Amino acid sequence: MVEALSLDNIINSIKLNLEGLVKSISISKGYIEVVVDASHIVEAALKLKSMGYDHVKSITAIDYPKESKIRVVYHASSYINEDLAKTIIGLTADIPRDNPVIDSLSQVWRSVEFQEREVYEFFGVIFREHPDLRPLLVIPELAEKKVLRKDFIVKEESIYEGIPHKY
Amino acid sequence: MKGSSIDRVYVGNLNIAARRARDLLLGKLKLGEIVDWATTFSLWPVHLLTSCCGAEFAATWSPRFDAEQYGALPWVGPRQTNFIVIEGTVTRKMACALRITYEQMPNPKFVIAMGACALDGGLFYNSYNIVRPWEVVPVDIYIPGCPPPPEALARAILELRKKIREKNIASKWLIEGWRNDRDYVSPKEDVCRWWRP
Ligand code: SF4
Repeated sequence: MVEALSLDNIINSIKLNLEGLVKSISISKGYIEVVVDASHIVEAALKLKSMGYDHVKSITAIDYPKESKIRVVYHASSYINEDLAKTIIGLTADIPRDNPVIDSLSQVWRSVEFQEREVYEFFGVIFREHPDLRPLLVIPELAEKKVLRKDFIVKEESIYEGIPHKY
Repeated sequence: MKGSSIDRVYVGNLNIAARRARDLLLGKLKLGEIVDWATTFSLWPVHLLTSCCGAEFAATWSPRFDAEQYGALPWVGPRQTNFIVIEGTVTRKMACALRITYEQMPNPKFVIAMGACALDGGLFYNSYNIVRPWEVVPVDIYIPGCPPPPEALARAILELRKKIREKNIASKWLIEGWRNDRDYVSPKEDVCRWWRP
């Protein structure tokens, strides 16, 4: 019988596998946040994949205008390994806000391809070596405005404005 | 027949239908009135699901509310339908699909805008990614609510039928070639992004 991996064991093996790449690691319940350097993200992703993290659930980005950085987060988990499936890895990298370029992980996990397109259209993060970097849900003119960044101002308007007067 | 109590009845009734057919054959009824009458009993909505109000749209045609009793049958192809129910939010990409679907339908055609989102944005009133449906297609009936219950949609279909019958919209549309009782709406925005080179 294979012994069940505890959370501590998983964290230890992550630390072991990603030695020299991890900047910081923090845990809250089943969520393990692994911060790596942006230049090492492909390497770290390959190592996580060989550990058994076989898919990415979602990708998001967080805008920090004061610190002038954007944090890209890949939520990876596992289907095959039951113990790893109880945890979610947040593979995180910080990139500068005025030049948001990061290596694409679409060669590592195929499922990130269209999710990276979403981060691209909403935050303007450019994924290097992405096979098809086009806006996914919004039209290209809106994607240029980087609508989910904090400095995009949503127009506040009265709900009663602009009702067609004729009908 | 016009103005009689029979004209006030807007639900399917075999006796009335038989009487109307007899009147037509005997030459008592104008053909235009028959066109209006027939259009009201064949308002087929096209399957164009824009948002969450679509769940209520589905419930309206379920056995409990059974909107098919008004002669409305959801159908797949815009070429065989004459009626759109805009079910809630219309995003910028969907506005293009909405306009193309509307253009593909044969005259006379009608639009019901359903839900607060279709009226004036609803929840998403200040979103960057929605359009107001009345800027894209001409809307005949608005239904408020978030979402409107199936009864409201059924009532809107009845109101639309009443409007068509009382103003003779369908027959005038066919005779004159365009709709005279309201302005033509064409999108001011470039919804399909075809204007740019
Ligand atoms: S009106 Fe409400 S239920 Fe309908 S599409 Fe908008 S949010 Fe959804």
